[in-house]
Amino acid sequence: MTTQSESLNSQPSTLNFPLSEFLQQLLNGLSLGAIYALIALGYTMVYGVLRFINFAHSDVFMVGSFIGYYAGKHVPERTYWGGLLVLVVAMLGCALLGMLIERLCYRRLRGSATLNVLITAIGVSLLLEYSGQVFFGATPRTFPDIFPSTNFAFGSLVISSNQILVIVVATLLMVALQLIVYRTKIGTAMRAVSLNPKAAQLVGVNNDIVISFTFGLGSALAAAGGILYAINYPSIDPLMGVMPGLKAFVAAVLGGIGNIPGAALGGLLLGTVETFVNGSQWSTYKDAIAFAILIGILLFRPAGLLGKFTVEKV
Amino acid sequence: MAAPLLQLDKATIRFGGLTAVNSVDFTVGEDELVGLIGPNGAGKTTVFNLMTGVYQPTDGTITFNGTPIAGLRVNEIVDLGIARTFQNIRLFGSLSVFDNVRVACNLHRATSPIQALIRGKSFRADEAAITKRAEELLDIFNLRRFRDAPSKSLPYGEQRRLEIVRCLATKPKLLLLDEPAAGMNPTEKIELVRLIQQVQKQFNLSILLVEHSMKVVMGVCQRIAVLDYGVKIAEGNPAQIQSDKKVIEAYLGEDHQTALSHH
Amino acid sequence: MSLRFPPSPNSRHGTFRIRVYPCPSVVKNSGSPTIPVPRPHLYLLAALLVALGISQFSDRIDPYFLDVIIGIGINIILAVSLNLVNGYTGQFSLGHAGFMSVGAYLAAAVSLFLGPKILGEAGGTALQQGLMFLAALVAGGLGAAFAGLIVGVPSLRLKGDYLALVTLGFGEIIRVVFQNVEFLGGALGLNGIPAYTTIFWVLAFVALSVFVVTCLVHSTYGRGFLATHDDEIASESVGLNTTRYKIVAFVIGAFFAGTAGGLYGHFKMTITPTGFDFTKSIEIVVMVILGGMGNTLGVILAAILLTLLPELLRPIAEYRMIIYSLMLIILMLVRPQGLFNFKFGKAKL
Repeated sequence: MTTQSESLNSQPSTLNFPLSEFLQQLLNGLSLGAIYALIALGYTMVYGVLRFINFAHSDVFMVGSFIGYYAGKHVPERTYWGGLLVLVVAMLGCALLGMLIERLCYRRLRGSATLNVLITAIGVSLLLEYSGQVFFGATPRTFPDIFPSTNFAFGSLVISSNQILVIVVATLLMVALQLIVYRTKIGTAMRAVSLNPKAAQLVGVNNDIVISFTFGLGSALAAAGGILYAINYPSIDPLMGVMPGLKAFVAAVLGGIGNIPGAALGGLLLGTVETFVNGSQWSTYKDAIAFAILIGILLFRPAGLLGKFTVEKV
Repeated sequence: MAAPLLQLDKATIRFGGLTAVNSVDFTVGEDELVGLIGPNGAGKTTVFNLMTGVYQPTDGTITFNGTPIAGLRVNEIVDLGIARTFQNIRLFGSLSVFDNVRVACNLHRATSPIQALIRGKSFRADEAAITKRAEELLDIFNLRRFRDAPSKSLPYGEQRRLEIVRCLATKPKLLLLDEPAAGMNPTEKIELVRLIQQVQKQFNLSILLVEHSMKVVMGVCQRIAVLDYGVKIAEGNPAQIQSDKKVIEAYLGEDHQTALSHH
Repeated sequence: MSLRFPPSPNSRHGTFRIRVYPCPSVVKNSGSPTIPVPRPHLYLLAALLVALGISQFSDRIDPYFLDVIIGIGINIILAVSLNLVNGYTGQFSLGHAGFMSVGAYLAAAVSLFLGPKILGEAGGTALQQGLMFLAALVAGGLGAAFAGLIVGVPSLRLKGDYLALVTLGFGEIIRVVFQNVEFLGGALGLNGIPAYTTIFWVLAFVALSVFVVTCLVHSTYGRGFLATHDDEIASESVGLNTTRYKIVAFVIGAFFAGTAGGLYGHFKMTITPTGFDFTKSIEIVVMVILGGMGNTLGVILAAILLTLLPELLRPIAEYRMIIYSLMLIILMLVRPQGLFNFKFGKAKL
């Protein structure tokens, strides 16, 4: 057993045993996919209630990592309680940030043209990125080892405790989300707003609170994604959110935007496909793969894998 | 006997398990003014959408002027000579009244983007002809005074009229009017009846009218077909329809047999 | 002003609020010309002559100033051409930088690989170079237009957000492909592109793009773009082939994006795939929105403003992007119709 903190994609893999290599890639893919899924959930929930793409979500993810970076300095390294504390702090911080963004920018634009809302979201995204560059600095930083990490070797298959952590935390959070959405009053209200905001209002749902809560919840999940991502890819910088954000969005569309289990499925699928492409001779095209999937799914099944498609009524 | 202008032969459309229009046989002849009525959700607008190529029939055929229209694009069917209005007015809101009409003048399909750049003689002749025709149409319907106003700023009744004018600009042989009297007061309805009659005479076309207002339908239609749950339940002249038991049942249930004629 | 009660709830405008509508009879004649722009070709010719005139004095203009003007010109071409797609036709493309990169690479490749063969070692006369450059730009534009066709045909079945994403995706794929083509320099890009771009070429293509877009829109054919924007279903129902309109808009928009790319490459003398990423596309979209969608004059002003802004903010370089993004948000909140769109709704050039 060795103790090291390595990035997922540079895990040692041997070509002698195709099956174990396959399992290795699958595991790497699933843990990357779990992170995409966490971010995708935020996109999908916001799209569900407001019908717009919150471009700034990827930067909330980045802010999550940075909160983790600073909070991580104040807790002892490599302890579970310390790591979990950092995770919780980052989630709370980002929930606040998400709600703040919604309150200050998006609320005033409710009902405006799609394009205007999208541009505002892009504006918020740029604001977070460039503020990050000014306040955090543009140079990448090394994320502290907040969780204990070990590698377990089974033959040529290497499993790092961080990968297990990612999958366990992501699964727990997704189960919690599912419970919130389907078993609580606020969750019911979220679903009602998503189906028909006006009708929801008429039966006494306070849309403002529900939308605010949705942003908070989505942003908290993005923050968790940010911490888990940073544990596995420990170099963080203010632009780190752009690519994972875009890919998580693709994952959300792949699963069927607005559909929570769809986002989870899309994230896992995308992470796996990308990891396999990365391990093949086409590795330099790995960023293009996500977009090729996006285009394919939008052209042939625009509602995504688990979504329903609606046609404009004449 | 000449074939009718428009012929639906066992036209059927299903959405999943729902049969919205079920084996409807129906014709509109040259210069005829036909009404299509039925309770809410009877499938009237769906029939319009079948005739205009928005939906493709699951079964059956639709023939217009001898040409089967299955598989044609909406705009190709317009070229054949079917024009329609919409239940919820669909004007080009940001275009002026004049441009709403000009854009529909189908002369322009002679011009292309290349010609729009070169602006040669034939292009200018086309533009002039289109402008002239659009102005004539506005004059006929007394819309000239609104010529340069954005169409969305027109009063409601004028918007309805403009939509009909826009249809006429495409030189249709058959005009489909989808609930033109919706939201109109009694005076406006009387004007509408006059307008429909004027259009039919002046432009020599057939009109198919979907309408809820019995006053309008009974006032202008020579023949009326009644749809209920996607099935044609009756067809005949206004008097026959008014006394048809099935129709009264479909509209009012069994206890209100007299209500229809008093509407 | 007249008070009008709302029509029935059946109607599209049927809200249960009383709205104040301007009385149509007092709406000022917006001067829709009966024969649109009498001789637009004269304007184009005049503009080309002015461009030629200015280029005669270019060596007396401060080089920094000249660079800024060239940058502005290239952005105007990009914004005006995207405005045909996003503004007039109402589609939502986020892949304009992708088309720009196709044009930039193709034009650069023509100059770098074909140029020496045709012009010889000496480099040819100024006239020969000029023609060579024109050919390179046209090749770049056509290549981009072809890419526009390939992207446009399948994508245009989609609307709104979805179309935006697909075009974004295509733009990113084009970038990744360029990063992987060794022949075109891979991730390092192409260097040593001859500096053919002069103020003349930039102004000439600005004039040409404005001419083409204005002429198209001010014709009965071109009003189909606006109709497609307003209501696709209604457009089809008056006989317009909206698919074809959307593709024509896409292809023409891509053509000019391609020439702008060619001008950019021969101006900077070096191009890399990352220079054409989705941030660049967004930058162009912002110009279109700020200018007021479907308002060519406004879009030109916005392109000028947004190119100058980073230059003006140079002294506080660290914060300039923060200011830029803040401005973007505030503008969307307080003036969603665009900075230069003085008539809400459709504005005319």
